Formats: sequence, C-alpha cells, structure tokens
Amino acid sequence: MAFHYNDAFENPDYHDSETLELDRVRPRWSASFHRNPYDSSPYDPYDDYSAEEQNSPMEMPVDSVQLQSPAEYSPRAFAFETSDSNPYGNAHINPSFDYEPEFAYMLPTSSDTFNDHYVHRPDTPDGVSIIQRRSRQEVDMAVLAPSSLLQLDPGYNEEKQKQEEKLIQNLANLSTWERIKAIKKIPKTMKEKREIRNHVLREKTKSHNQDAQINRCTQCFYNTFLSFRRFKNGLLECFQFFQLWQKTLKVIGGKFGTSVCSYFVFLTWLLMFNVFSFLVNFSFITVPQLIEAKADNLSFTGLEFFTGAGYFKETVLYYGFYTNGTISKTKSTSPYDMQLAYIFTIGIYFILCFLSLLYSMAKSFRRNFINPSMYSGHAAKLLCIWDFSITNEKAVKLKQRNLSTQMKETLSEVNTEVLKLSVCQKIAQLSIHLAAWVVSLGAAAASCAGIYYFSTANLELFLKDDKTELESEAVTLVLPIVVGLLNHMVPFFYSFFGFVEKFTYPKYQIYTSIGRNIILKMSIIGILCYYWLNIVAASKAQCWETLVGQDIYKLIVVEFICCLLGSFFGEFVRRIIGTKCCQQLGVPEFDIARNVLDLIYAQTLAWIGIFFSPLIPAIQIISFFIIFYVKKVSLMMNCQPPRKAWRASQMNTVFIFLLFFPSFTGVLSVIAVIVWRMKPSEMCGPFRGLETIFAAISSWVAILATYPASLWVVWIYHNLFESVHFFFILSVIVLIITYLYWQIIDGRKIMVRLLQEQIINEGKDKMFLLKKLRALQASRLPNTGQQQERNSSVPQLPRQQMLPSSPDDMERSPGIMERDSYVEPSEMPEMNSFSPHPAEIPGMTSFFPQAEMTSFSRAVQRDPQPAGTAGISDALALALRARQEAEWEMGEEDFRS
Amino acid sequence: MGGSGSHLPRDLLGEYQELTFLSKQEILLAHRRFSELLPKEERDRGFLSRLPRSKILTLPELRANPFRHRICQVFSTADDGEGSMSFEDFLDMLSVFSDTATPEIKSHYAFRIFDFDDDGTLDKKDLENLVNCLTGEGEESRLNPVEMDQLIQNILEESDIDKDGTINLSEFQHIISRSPDFPSSFKIVL
Repeated sequence: MAFHYNDAFENPDYHDSETLELDRVRPRWSASFHRNPYDSSPYDPYDDYSAEEQNSPMEMPVDSVQLQSPAEYSPRAFAFETSDSNPYGNAHINPSFDYEPEFAYMLPTSSDTFNDHYVHRPDTPDGVSIIQRRSRQEVDMAVLAPSSLLQLDPGYNEEKQKQEEKLIQNLANLSTWERIKAIKKIPKTMKEKREIRNHVLREKTKSHNQDAQINRCTQCFYNTFLSFRRFKNGLLECFQFFQLWQKTLKVIGGKFGTSVCSYFVFLTWLLMFNVFSFLVNFSFITVPQLIEAKADNLSFTGLEFFTGAGYFKETVLYYGFYTNGTISKTKSTSPYDMQLAYIFTIGIYFILCFLSLLYSMAKSFRRNFINPSMYSGHAAKLLCIWDFSITNEKAVKLKQRNLSTQMKETLSEVNTEVLKLSVCQKIAQLSIHLAAWVVSLGAAAASCAGIYYFSTANLELFLKDDKTELESEAVTLVLPIVVGLLNHMVPFFYSFFGFVEKFTYPKYQIYTSIGRNIILKMSIIGILCYYWLNIVAASKAQCWETLVGQDIYKLIVVEFICCLLGSFFGEFVRRIIGTKCCQQLGVPEFDIARNVLDLIYAQTLAWIGIFFSPLIPAIQIISFFIIFYVKKVSLMMNCQPPRKAWRASQMNTVFIFLLFFPSFTGVLSVIAVIVWRMKPSEMCGPFRGLETIFAAISSWVAILATYPASLWVVWIYHNLFESVHFFFILSVIVLIITYLYWQIIDGRKIMVRLLQEQIINEGKDKMFLLKKLRALQASRLPNTGQQQERNSSVPQLPRQQMLPSSPDDMERSPGIMERDSYVEPSEMPEMNSFSPHPAEIPGMTSFFPQAEMTSFSRAVQRDPQPAGTAGISDALALALRARQEAEWEMGEEDFRS
Repeated sequence: MGGSGSHLPRDLLGEYQELTFLSKQEILLAHRRFSELLPKEERDRGFLSRLPRSKILTLPELRANPFRHRICQVFSTADDGEGSMSFEDFLDMLSVFSDTATPEIKSHYAFRIFDFDDDGTLDKKDLENLVNCLTGEGEESRLNPVEMDQLIQNILEESDIDKDGTINLSEFQHIISRSPDFPSSFKIVL
C-alpha cells in the first residue's frame, strides 16, 4: 500500500497554497518524480553517512546522473498514471518504494488510484498510524537520500543542475574499471543500469575532445583490462577440475547448508596450499636433483607405500638423497647450488604461507568479528538466517522444522527467564568442568608420555641390527599406528564429557571440545618433535633426517587411513546402528569440528615434513583428494544436516586461526630450531659436513663478499639479519603502531556508542515533532490563541531532558511523557477527512530529513516567540529557519571537508 | 539463437558482464538454462520472451525456496505483476545472488524480498510472513499467535533503532552488516 504517507498531496489546495511557494512546480520535477523507489539510495546507505560523498567519485549519487530529458521518462510517467489497476506488480517502477513524497504529486490526475489504496488499506484507520508510516518514510529518506530531500529548496534547482553536471563529469572521468564497478552496484534493473551507462558514455564521448589524452590512457587501460579478463577467463576454463568441485560444493551446500560446506571449502583451501608447495618443491629441488640422480638399486616390494622406507629411502622423496654439491650439466651455465636451493625454496615457501595465512586470517577476522559484543540479540538474527543456497526439498523442510523448534525454545527461555542456580549447584557445575579439564589434560599428558617412552624404546629396537628387513620395517610401523589410534580414540573419550558437563550455551561446548582436542593434537606433535630432534638426531642412526622423514610419511599415511576408518565407523556404522538397532540415536550429523581438527593435524605434520621430505606435499595432495570424495560420499549417504545453527563463518575464522597459531607458528619454530641449532648428518643430505644448516648461508655470504657487484646483499645480511638493533627497532615500531591502532579502535567504539544514542534520540525527536505539527494542524481551526500558548510551552523543554541516557529510560523520561500527553489522540482528525488546508504538513515534513531534525528543534528552542500569530505560520516560520540553519550547517560541513 | 546451441551475441555478452556481477561462464550457463525453460518455438525470439512465474519456479535452485514467489516478484519487470521474468531479469537475479555481489546490494534485495507488501518497510505483517516462511506452513511447526507476537516484539526490540515500530532499509542493513554469514548464505548458484 503505497501512498498512505502522501495523503495530503491529493489535496488540490496544496498546489494553490501560498504558504509554500517554494514548493511550486518546477519544470525539472517532472523528470525526477519517476524514480525507481530504491534509486534514492545511490549506492548504499553506509556511504551516505560520509560527509564527503559529493567529492568522492565512488560515492557519487547516481540518481542525479540518471536525470534525463523528460521525453525519455515520459513512458514511465505514463505507466504511473495508468497503473491504477495494480501499481505494485511492477517492481522496478514500484511506487511504494519511492521515498520521495513529491512523487505522489502526480496522483491527483488519477484520483481513483488513490482511493483504491485506501480501500486496500484497512490497517490505517486513524491519523496516528499514518503519521507513523509517514515518519518511517522520513527516516528512510533521511538516511537514503539526503540530496533528494533538498528538492524543495529555493535555488535547489540550479544547485542540483550544477551538481549533476559535476557528477556526470566525475563519473565520466572515473577510470573505466571504477565506473563499471560503480554502475554494477546500483540496485536497479538491467535496463536502467544500461541507461545510466549509456548516458555516462555519451557524456564521455562529448568530453572526448577535451581530454583525448586521458581517454586514450583509459582506453589503453581498458584494453589491457579486457585482455587480462579474457586471459583470466581462459585460465578458468582450463580449470575444469575446479568447476567440477564447484558443482560438488554446490550440491553439498544445497543439501547441508553453508556450515558443512565450509569444511569442504577448508579442505580445498588446504589442498591448494599443498599443490603450490608441491609445484615449488618439485621444480626447484627435485628436478635439479633428478638430473643428477643415480640409479636406485633397492628392490620394490609394495610395503613401501605404508612404511615409506625401503625403496623410497634412496629416492628424491627424502632429504638424505639430495646432494650437497653443485649441479651443472654444461660448463657454460652457472652451477646450481643444491644447498642454497633447498634452504631458499623452503624458506620462501614458508614466508609465502605465512603471508597468505596472515592475510586470510586478518580478512576473516575483519569480516566476522567486527563487533560481536554489540550484537547480543538472537531474534534479529532471524532476518538473515535463511540459507538461500539450500535447494534440496527435504533439507528445506528439515531446516524449517529445526528453525521452528529453535524459535520455540528461545521464546520459552525468554519467557521463563534464566533459571537461577543455587550456590551449591554452581559449585557442582564448576567442579565438574574442572574435573573434566583435569581428566582431559591428564589424558593428553598420559598419551604424550606413552608416545615418548614407546618411541624411544622403539628406536632402540629399530637400531639393533639383528633383524630381517621386513621385521625392522614392521617395527617402524608400530609407532605411527599407536599415535593414530591415540589421536582418534582420545577425542572419542572426550566426547563422553558431554553427557556430564552442562554448558549455558552450546557455543561454549563447541569451543571447549575444540580447545581440548587441539591441546591433545598439538602436544602429541610437540612430543614427537622433541623425540625427533633430541633422541633421533642424537642417536647413532646413519641419516636421522631421512628417518624423521619416514616417520612423518608413515604418520600421514596412518592419519589418512584413520580418517577413512573414522568416516566408516563414525558415520556409516553409526547410521546403521542409529537406524536399525537403536532408533533413538537417529542418523548422525557431520561432526565439522572433529573433521577440521583432523585436517589441521595432518597439515601440521606435512609442514614439518617438508624439510625432511620435500615431496611430502604430493602425498598430502593424494590423501586430501581421496578424503574429499570419501567424505562427500559418506556425508551424502549417512548424515543429516546439522540441527543447530552453526555460525559457519565465525567457526571458519577460528579454524584458520588454529591453523595459524599453534599449528603454523609451531612448525616455524621447529624449522627454526632445525636450521639454526641442529647439526645435520655427516653422511647424507645437502648439508652434510656443516655445523648447522644456517652455516650454508653464512658461507655463501662470505663468498658473495668477494664480488663487488653483490655487496648490497652482504650489507643487508650483516646489518639487517644479523643485527640485534634492527630487530629491536623493528619491534619497537610495531609495538607503537599496535598501540596507536588500539587507541583508535577504542575511540571508534565510543564514537559508535554515541552515534547509536544519537540515532535513537533523533528518532524520538522526529516522532515528537511530527506529533506536534499534527496537533498544531488540528487545533488551528478551533482555537488559535490556545495554540499559541501551547506552541510556546513546548520549546521550553530543556534539551537535556530529551536526551535520556538509554532507550529504556527514554520511555519513562518526564520529557517524553510530557510530549506524549501533549498530543491527545482525540485532536487528530481522520486523515481522509483532513482536507481544508493541509498543504503545510507535507511541506513541513518533507522539509526535515532526520539529520536536520535536531537543528529544527534547536531552532524551536531558540525562538520561544514565534513570528506569526496563527499556529501554522509559526510552524512554517520555524521550519524555514530550521532549514536555513541546516543549510548553514551543511555549508560548514562542506567547508570542513 | 535457438536450441541448446544458441549463443549470445558477443557485444551483448560483454555488456552483461559489465552490468552484472556474473562471469562469462555464468552468463552463458544462465542463458542455456533460461532457454531450456522456454518453449521450443519461442527460443528464437531470444530476449523478448518472458517466462511465466510457474516456469521459473521449476528451476531446482528455486523450487524448494520458501521465498521463491517473492524472489520472482522482486526481480520481475513485467507490467502484469504476475512475476514473469525476461532473460535480463533472470540475470539480475543471478547477479544479486552471485558470490561476487557486494553485501550492500545483497542486503538491499533481501530487504525487498522480505518486504511482502512492498511498502518500503518491514512492519509486523511482513515479519509475520517472514517467520511463517522460515518455519514452514505445517501445523506443528507454525508458531502460535502468542509466540509470534513475542518473537516479533523481540525482533523489533533488537533491530528497530529509531523505535518507530518497523524496520526500515538502513536498520535492516545494519543488522545484516553484523551478520557475517549473510553474504555467503544469500546465494543462489546455477
């Protein structure tokens, strides 16, 4: 129902009114009436808050650009005037979204249209709700289209015209790419967007002669951009493989929602890491080594796939095989230094990993933890809870049922209030949590100790020479199997705590279980690293790096198998049990947290393994690839969509953070210890004979120092890498910047709070003023004298009273009470019968966008003695003054910006 | 054009790429899907023909969506108000629901979809409709009137910043900006 807020415009008196001369029809109006309802928000309302929107090209209100010759718009005007049958059907010219009251100015021409709407509108019986509705529009207007509200200004026309010229110029001057982006963002139909674009292009060609130079440049840029895009598209077409996965992801998302899909996205993301790492390692480390490779004389039995030993021992898979010399096929080319290649490739890979992890982590933090503390409510979440990507009919039904249960639960919680626990119960709860934590940490510690003693014993057994080949390989397999079992059994044991522990929010339960599991997994990896670096490296093994590489290989293979078995037992067998034997268990849900933690564990192992076995990423790629499909099939066959709303993006942030913090930083420190502290094996590997691996770099720099051309490298090495001062200064600067940002964030928080309070106050102000105007209007006819009295009584309200500290207080504040009681509903005439001279009201209301309301009320305060005698003239004078003041303020703002 | 082998003229394709958030592949796929829905004799008419709402709703991507009628209504530019869609409307819709569309434009259209009576604000009636769509129309899943009142009260309390009893576009976008899951869940991919 569209025109309810424009009620007064129907009145012909409005057009004859002398009081609002400035509202008189202007020739250009006819062009601007027929905007798309949502046009009034040029790009997005967020931008509209910025004071400099007129200056910044990106935030330019395009609605003014859209102004065209009336001839072009006439078909639409026609559509409006004849659309009395159903004006709402057509969304893109839907009048109801029009925030400009002037639009309804057209309506007198088809008065039956208007009546129609009132017939359709049973829920606006009295003036109050109409006011309310109108004020709602006001808010929208104020927020969405500050510029469009100035249309009632005298002199507005020329100003607007000037502005338009400037804006079109701006848009035409925008770089092509920016313009395309800007036009894309306009929430309009294709046809309208095309019109805007053509208009701007016309402008552009007009000004072509003036700045041919620039145009050539942009043209050139555009061409490059186009060819780049073509290239990108070509590349995309090449990756049919990813297209394949897109489809799979879509199917999964369609049936299980975004949350489960996020696991698979995470998996593909990790896969990309490994593909990149494999390509780098293969091309810079393995290929040069393969050129020099000697023939392998060990036999291949097949068991190697599990043990990673035997045949693989003497291949490019492991550190030990790589040469420490330089590789040069021909005399003419400069030699390829294997030591440097090894250290730089892995170093650069880790730096890139670090940056990309940091980048994605920061991005997802920024997106997902913007300000969680401010958002406490649950009900408002309903507005954006629906997952549009779900396409499966059953899944939709299920989701609806779950949502309904959730809503009912939340409502009943709200209704019955939070159960107050007694002190005893609280202590009991706390001790249960404490006990659970002690048991879980104890279990983690026990499994670490077990692994440690077992592994040392196992190593001794392995190093004894009185066994056959097969036996010794079988011995090496025991450790990974034990680790894998612990890794999957202990979390299962942890999950039993769920029956005992009671959490206030399910969120806490998820975080607790993630925390416990990650502690377990990381301490297992930690103890293994300790074992490798302190026990294996110090043992009398011939080539300890290769041994560690083999261990990691086996661990990854066992982890992969455990993952498959986990799918089998955790999902398939569980479903059989749930549907056949034990009905109340039901179909299992996909445990996102557990699965993601498994992936993080595997990836940590692979990162550590890169140093000892450069081709480990290849193994990881294969394993992730298979896991992807197995999990997908298992999910489709066995699982049901998650019952609880899972905050997918926030969990994703947590997972990326976990991948970064204990996992990646741990790996970095292990690698750093290996490079700077550990003594490499005497007999094998690229670093044989050196004291530490880093010595390779030092000696290289020493050689470089003899060449004058590369002295800068030496300088950088000595002054930046080896100098303590540099790192000291660097960390001080970083600390200072961090502190500054912290302060800025604090300031912004305060600002946000203040602005929020201001919005609430402005809303109240606006309601109050509207009511007051309505009252003035109503009481003008019976008694003007009384009106005068009232009018002067209101402005004396101290402003402080109007600004209570919180919205709740506001409801009860005396100022508000007074305001409310000031307007008696009985004084309000029905809107429909509100005919004599109502023109001022729409004039007034359209005068005041929300932002100007305060200045209006200030003007009211400052002027307790209105100029005229009649109430309406008073109001009008006030309005004019307020508008002037607003203009002045805007001018000041412009000046400031 | 015509048949499954029909193709878009190159310049038009470029224009669509420029005006929507879709990539070339996505536009071509959309075109294929759209012409598959057209009756055989109309395929040659290309962009002039409109698909009636009933046909559009047979798309598996929309079939189960509880907001499908609103989606058609919002994106349709037809004069008859029946929600029929031309190819460009269809592209508009896919553009808004694509991955690359900005959260602002997504929330803008989400607002229009949820605004059942097309009056520019979400009032109690709209919210009631919205909740009914979310819970489904089944007897056991529907909320009873008391619960509904309470729920709508809660929603308004949290999101109606200027306390005028309805949620307007900026308030709606404010809520959306706090919900990081929204852009990824407001997504329909062909």
